Amino acid sequence: MRLEIDWTRCDGHGLCARLLPELVDLDEHGFPVLRTHDVTAALVPHARRAVSACPVLALRLVDPGPRG
Amino acid sequence: MAPPEAPLLPPAVALGAARLLLGTSHGQRIDLATHRRLHGTVAPVDLDRLVAMTTEVALLGRGGAAFPVATKLRATPAGSRTQVLVNGSEGEPASFKDRTVMTRTPHLVLDGALAVAGALGTRHVTITVHDDASAHSLRRAVQERRDAGRVRVVQRPGGFVSGEVRAAIRAVDGHAPLPGGRRVLPSVSGVKGAPTFASNVETFAQVAVLLSRGVREHASVGDPDEPGTTLLTLWADDSGPVVVEVPTGLALHGLLPGTDDRPVLVGGYHGTWVPVAGDLRVSRPALRRAGLRLNAGVVARPPADTCLLGEVAAVTRWLAAESAGQCGPCWFGLPALARTVDDLVAGRQVPEAAQARAALLPGRGACAHPDGAAGFVSSALEVLTHEVALHRTHGTCGRPLRGALPVPPVGPRPSARHGGAR
Repeated sequence: MRLEIDWTRCDGHGLCARLLPELVDLDEHGFPVLRTHDVTAALVPHARRAVSACPVLALRLVDPGPRG
Repeated sequence: MAPPEAPLLPPAVALGAARLLLGTSHGQRIDLATHRRLHGTVAPVDLDRLVAMTTEVALLGRGGAAFPVATKLRATPAGSRTQVLVNGSEGEPASFKDRTVMTRTPHLVLDGALAVAGALGTRHVTITVHDDASAHSLRRAVQERRDAGRVRVVQRPGGFVSGEVRAAIRAVDGHAPLPGGRRVLPSVSGVKGAPTFASNVETFAQVAVLLSRGVREHASVGDPDEPGTTLLTLWADDSGPVVVEVPTGLALHGLLPGTDDRPVLVGGYHGTWVPVAGDLRVSRPALRRAGLRLNAGVVARPPADTCLLGEVAAVTRWLAAESAGQCGPCWFGLPALARTVDDLVAGRQVPEAAQARAALLPGRGACAHPDGAAGFVSSALEVLTHEVALHRTHGTCGRPLRGALPVPPVGPRPSARHGGAR
């Protein structure tokens, strides 16, 4: 699965970095920095939790499909 | 803020084969009768034939992304709902090539757009521009001919970011000229939500030239990887700007007078600095193999007697001011990067600090503005190590800032980000 951010929505609340520190850091302004877009199977439940916690629905977990 | 007045267009010359610029050497606008004498009449072409022809000459989009035209044609569903969008929103301050084409040879743009629309089985053609002169020239051209009655010329003010194709589509549809947060291809949903074939003005003019001359003549000049000609806006030392039409594959140093011993900016303000032109050639595929992008065709070599780091800082401040304010990493990150580059000029900072800030930007926006700005700054710092060291040691390189790279005045920053929840 692939983690994506709609940057026009993201307001830097930072919950994603708390719930998914394995993949998400915050920059000096509080906006997420993804270490990688690719989410391993083991992290998918945590990623889902981060996605549902995002107050502005900026974080998405997408299935890249067979080509991804 | 009111848009700045349209600047007078620079001279435009063809070096070698004049195709797009045929007949424009004295700066005159080409009316329909002259256009037909120079370029003939473009016969309607079906989609398969147009795809075959654009494949044979490997025609690439001339806006920035250099996407293959044939691939885009094939990806656009044909039909009467389909839209054709000619993007003439030339928002890069150093670029004049699109406005040159629209004001001097507007019928080439219309020939290309109408041929593409015909091939796609639609009559919906929209041309979107920022400036008065281009809008005026195109509207006159529409009135001069009988086959362009359905062509819409839409004028929308806007800056650098609003030239991005999805931003241009939103502007045409009456929304704020900002790219959307989700990356939806225009071929899926573009103007009025319909499938849209969108490309840059020069692309359509190249299609017209290809159709009027045929594949063999089109490909008789230029690099075999991307035959034909391309338009550049050239800023060489003190002589720029000049819009030039060159056969692809031409040696870059051949466009720059004198000794090739100074940094060159390839691809404009979203482009890349190189230490010298070296053996680079003006061909999108060849430049891509060298890790460079021609983007909208701006090539600049500032004169030897200006403070290059100061030039880079001024452009970076402008790039920061051009952030549309949609995306936090760009809205906050670009001004932080600009301040760090200013600190380098003042000798108060080390280049690693600016590189670290630039490295955070790519991929973190709805459009490629943060990516382009980061590449501009980080390549400059790699090339200008000597200048950076001089500034660090002495607070100056000893040269005045001459403003060789054009930067529009930076207005006051809006107090809040657009969009988002804030």
